[in-house]
Amino acid sequence: MILYLGRRLLGVIGVLLAIAAVTFVIFYVLPSDPAAAACGKACSDERLEAIRAHMGLDAPLWRQFGDFVTGIFTGRTTGSGQYALRCDFPCLGYSYENSEGVWDLLVDRLPVSASLAVGAAVLWLLLGLTAGVTAALRKDTLTDRVLMVGAVAAASLPVYFTSVLLIYGLIRLTGLLPYPQYVPFTADPLSWASNLLLPWLALAVLYAAMYARQSRGSMIESMAEPYIRTARAKGLPRRTVVVKHGLRAGMTPVLTIFGMDLGGLLAGAVITESLFGLPGIGRLFYGALSTGDQPVILGVTLLAATFIVVANLAVDLLYAVVDPRVRY
Amino acid sequence: MTLTTTSSPPVSGGSGAWRSVRAELRRRTSLKVSVAVVAFFALMTVAAPLISALGGWGPEEFDKSAVDPYLGGLPIGPLGGVSAEHWLGVEPVTGRDLFARVVHGAQVSLLIAFAATAIVVVAGVAAGVAAGYFGGRTDTALSRLMDLTMSFPSLIFMIAMMSVARDVDRTLLMILVIGLFGWPGVARVVRGQTLSLKHREYVDAARVGGSGPWRILARDILPGVAGPVIAYTTLMIPGMIATEAALSYLGVGVRPPTPSWGQMIAESVAYYDTDPMYFLVPSVCLFLTVLAFTLLGDALRDILDPRGGRS
Amino acid sequence: MNKRTYTLATALVTTLALGMTGCSDGKKSDGSRDRKNPATSNNGAVVGGTPQRGGTLTVLSNQDFTHLDPARNWVMPDMDFGTRLLYRTLVTYAAQPGAKGTELVPDLAEDLGTPSDGAKTWTFRLKPGLKYEDGTPITSRDIKHNVERSFSPDLPGGPDYAARYLVGGKDYRGPAEGRHLDSVKTPDDRTIVFELHTAFAEFPFAATLPTFAPVPKPRDKGPQYDSRPFSSGPYKIETYARDKQLVLVRNTHWDPGSDSVRKAYPDRIVVTMGLKGNQIDDRLIASSGADASAVSWAQLRPESISKVLTKADVKARLLAESSSCTEMVQMHTGRAPFDDLKVRQAVQYALDREAIVTAAGGPAVVDASTAAMPGALFTGGTQPDTLKIPLSGDVEKAKQLLKEAGKADGFSTRLTVSMNDKRIGEAVQESLGRAGIKVTIETVDPSAFYDTIGDTKSRTDLVYTGWCPDYPSGSTFLPFVFDGRFIKAKGNSGNHSLFKDDATIERMDEIAAMSDGAQANKAWQELDGQILAKAPVAPGASKRRTLLIGTNVAGAFGHTSWSGQLDYATVGLKDPSKSAN
Repeated sequence: MILYLGRRLLGVIGVLLAIAAVTFVIFYVLPSDPAAAACGKACSDERLEAIRAHMGLDAPLWRQFGDFVTGIFTGRTTGSGQYALRCDFPCLGYSYENSEGVWDLLVDRLPVSASLAVGAAVLWLLLGLTAGVTAALRKDTLTDRVLMVGAVAAASLPVYFTSVLLIYGLIRLTGLLPYPQYVPFTADPLSWASNLLLPWLALAVLYAAMYARQSRGSMIESMAEPYIRTARAKGLPRRTVVVKHGLRAGMTPVLTIFGMDLGGLLAGAVITESLFGLPGIGRLFYGALSTGDQPVILGVTLLAATFIVVANLAVDLLYAVVDPRVRY
Repeated sequence: MTLTTTSSPPVSGGSGAWRSVRAELRRRTSLKVSVAVVAFFALMTVAAPLISALGGWGPEEFDKSAVDPYLGGLPIGPLGGVSAEHWLGVEPVTGRDLFARVVHGAQVSLLIAFAATAIVVVAGVAAGVAAGYFGGRTDTALSRLMDLTMSFPSLIFMIAMMSVARDVDRTLLMILVIGLFGWPGVARVVRGQTLSLKHREYVDAARVGGSGPWRILARDILPGVAGPVIAYTTLMIPGMIATEAALSYLGVGVRPPTPSWGQMIAESVAYYDTDPMYFLVPSVCLFLTVLAFTLLGDALRDILDPRGGRS
Repeated sequence: MNKRTYTLATALVTTLALGMTGCSDGKKSDGSRDRKNPATSNNGAVVGGTPQRGGTLTVLSNQDFTHLDPARNWVMPDMDFGTRLLYRTLVTYAAQPGAKGTELVPDLAEDLGTPSDGAKTWTFRLKPGLKYEDGTPITSRDIKHNVERSFSPDLPGGPDYAARYLVGGKDYRGPAEGRHLDSVKTPDDRTIVFELHTAFAEFPFAATLPTFAPVPKPRDKGPQYDSRPFSSGPYKIETYARDKQLVLVRNTHWDPGSDSVRKAYPDRIVVTMGLKGNQIDDRLIASSGADASAVSWAQLRPESISKVLTKADVKARLLAESSSCTEMVQMHTGRAPFDDLKVRQAVQYALDREAIVTAAGGPAVVDASTAAMPGALFTGGTQPDTLKIPLSGDVEKAKQLLKEAGKADGFSTRLTVSMNDKRIGEAVQESLGRAGIKVTIETVDPSAFYDTIGDTKSRTDLVYTGWCPDYPSGSTFLPFVFDGRFIKAKGNSGNHSLFKDDATIERMDEIAAMSDGAQANKAWQELDGQILAKAPVAPGASKRRTLLIGTNVAGAFGHTSWSGQLDYATVGLKDPSKSAN
């Protein structure tokens, strides 16, 4: 088990390095010039060169990448004299736009994206699994049909459409909810929730529908497994059979997609954050992209990739716990 | 990841499978409807210029008389300017004909979705069969590549790649970029399926009979993986359409004035209360298409891949 | 001012076209159109009466400030915000609506500066008793320090007038390594002397820029000063979470007696950032609860225009002051087919400016342009129409011109527009298409727009962009846009038609040397028409800055010198008790 874990962690680091390298190449080979963007209008050639040197953009690509990777651990200094900026481990550099540390920016934005993702996940798991399992246990009944037709339809709704519908219905028309404006959980849990409810719903509708479909399928499959038949034959109560045996095995595939989905969302639901104007990682990325703020783009990409690979790893480990058939 | 690949019944007999598709088609109404919807939009895609010619307006033709410039270019008339001339109304500001744009938008959206799917299927099947059949180092290398690709935050990367690229055909780029991040899904399914087929008696028999690996791949393995791949592919298309829409929504999609559904939705979201028709037309088209492909995919999976290849 | 600075401010989130353009009194010319402009009734007036002292003013914004560091702040709306609330400059503009807003008044200085040596040396003397937010005195050395900071490569983005005019500015790299600029002298705590290498009669206008605000050396944290500028104005920063919220509270050490411009009515000013543009509009249209005491930072979104103009009570709360920028289709005059005057004229004739106006939000918020310079630079505040081309174009004439140029079958070309101007690009495309000029549009992300069109080799034949004068003088417009000597192969800015015309260059030098300001102005205005006849550009449109204010807001007007941005010196609340805390 420990050997397995060690090997996987090594793999994680390799994957992150590869992703950083690809991101680097995409943004540094292509013709965009952050130095020129920072310099402003009527920039003289000398000033442009000076700025480029201060940003460390005059070095060859491989050197910049090497500096970036080693800088994460050893820290880096940019600028000169009185204006030097020192960033310590974990150093992802400074934003070209506002000179804030990229790491600090990520830490600052993560709670927003995490609130959005976790809240929505709770909602969609509740809705989706309930619907899916109910439908599976009442396979081919009217309940099953209604639930599944609803799920297919909901999964096909464009997220823009659901969002607009929610904004119109719950804010404009009835005034039930405020226009979403992020309030930290620590400041006021109630207004945190009421401000986020709308984006939660918008995300949850889509995912709940997918989860209902997925969990119904795998539930039906697992309930047909021989060991469930054995358990039933032993005379165990139906409840125990469903929850202890059926659900455990049936949830394994759901767990896989859940890990991927949550990992992806933690790193910013770009569209949802943009639709509702939430200052999360997704908006940070989108803003950085529109201003060519490469350190931030790189930082967000790495964070997102980290979430995905860590989620994958967590899912694989959880398999052993949830599914009695898997052992490492 | 495929935990239950041991007992799939052989689905090699293509003709039998298609017979059951036809039987199923007769039985299920939802399937009939979804086939009809898919056929409808596919026809629209193919015949877009002809169909929009019926309406008399090109997709890029301005109609200044249809909008009121003093109200921010809102269409004149009820329901977003629906009239005998503009069947579905007009786009605010430009006065372009919504019918013509939604028809041509179907062409662009579906072209991107289908082409990206084709890339994903070809690349995914090739990689999956190679990994599964040859095993060993090929398998290790390809599996690593799959893991790596799947670890990429794909939407973020797609946005990034679309937004930095200049002077390229954006439709083509979008197809390539979407395809790039989609193939490992298919590859995994195919790899699992290939592994399970590799040691079937009829494959072994062919091998003993002196068939080369290419012949076995073409005659025995590929037909065997076709069923799950078709089902998986159909279910993938809605995701592709949605991705095109998402990229266009974020402003990195096709180049103006070319319409696509995603780009139309992106521009119309802000008009949801002042010109609901403008917002509804592309949204409903997107909804119907995604719904139809999902239903069709569900049915195909039930028939072609009853044990489920999606894990 | 280059439009680059606006673009940087306008993140992708704002799909509303880059704002702030127009002619300062352009509303009068609208009467000649078929309908009276419904949006401009508030122009030249203060909306909401005189405010009461106290309360919290909320600013709803879709973006963060580009830079609040005075050495780096060169975005019109941000400059207004910074210099009106957080730092004072040597000279500033009067807090008056309409044309009076272009008048200069002393701010930190006692007067508008004393020129000597034929306007090559400028001396300013500070008012006595000026203090920072911690009570320490403001000295002339602090102003010198900030001027020096503006040279630092660590602090890019700010106005470059100091670098352009000060002796020894070319090789100076800022104060970070302990070196100083000798051409700025501070003989005592209250006197500052600037030594320029060329005569610059308009220096007092330049002295309104944030470069000439004080920064105390002990507080200077280099690039991170941006997040916490030290206040010399009526407010200081309580908290500033980038891209989220900025909270300003009163600076008790600011002496209203020393300040003839700033009124500082509200107790607190809260800027909430990163909101969706159309949600800001909806909140201000409803103007309920705390939103009644709010003003908009973002311009009205085009899709919200119909919701505002159809309701008299909401319309009464709309500011639509025009600002001094014009946008045009600029043609690559150095490359075929646009090296042919007839082809360029054909573009002028084919262009449908009505379609451009509609694409930019409609005639209520945009004016079609008939000259290169904005109306504010013309006598009477209105652009003349020297070309006399119908606004919707003259396709027949365009086709005829193309025929004369040997292009009877038309040709294909490409146009670069900023992502924010996509609709305008489509309007240009459609209207040139009528004459047989087939245009392919390249949309470029705002951040990359000026880099892209600044590369004279790889750029497209056509670009749609504009220019805004830094202060009301033709000298900050025509030389930037049409002087062929300033063309650079890469990083080219302003002259995107790559127009290189000896007669024009000669005339510009003559005008720059004129000592009589009125004569020079008239000469610039005539030159504008002469340049247009040579057709390096086709005039496009001039946008207004459309801002909604809440029902409880008073003392509001768009300031003509800051591109129509709300003047934060005078805005306040009708009833402070109704605002949120």
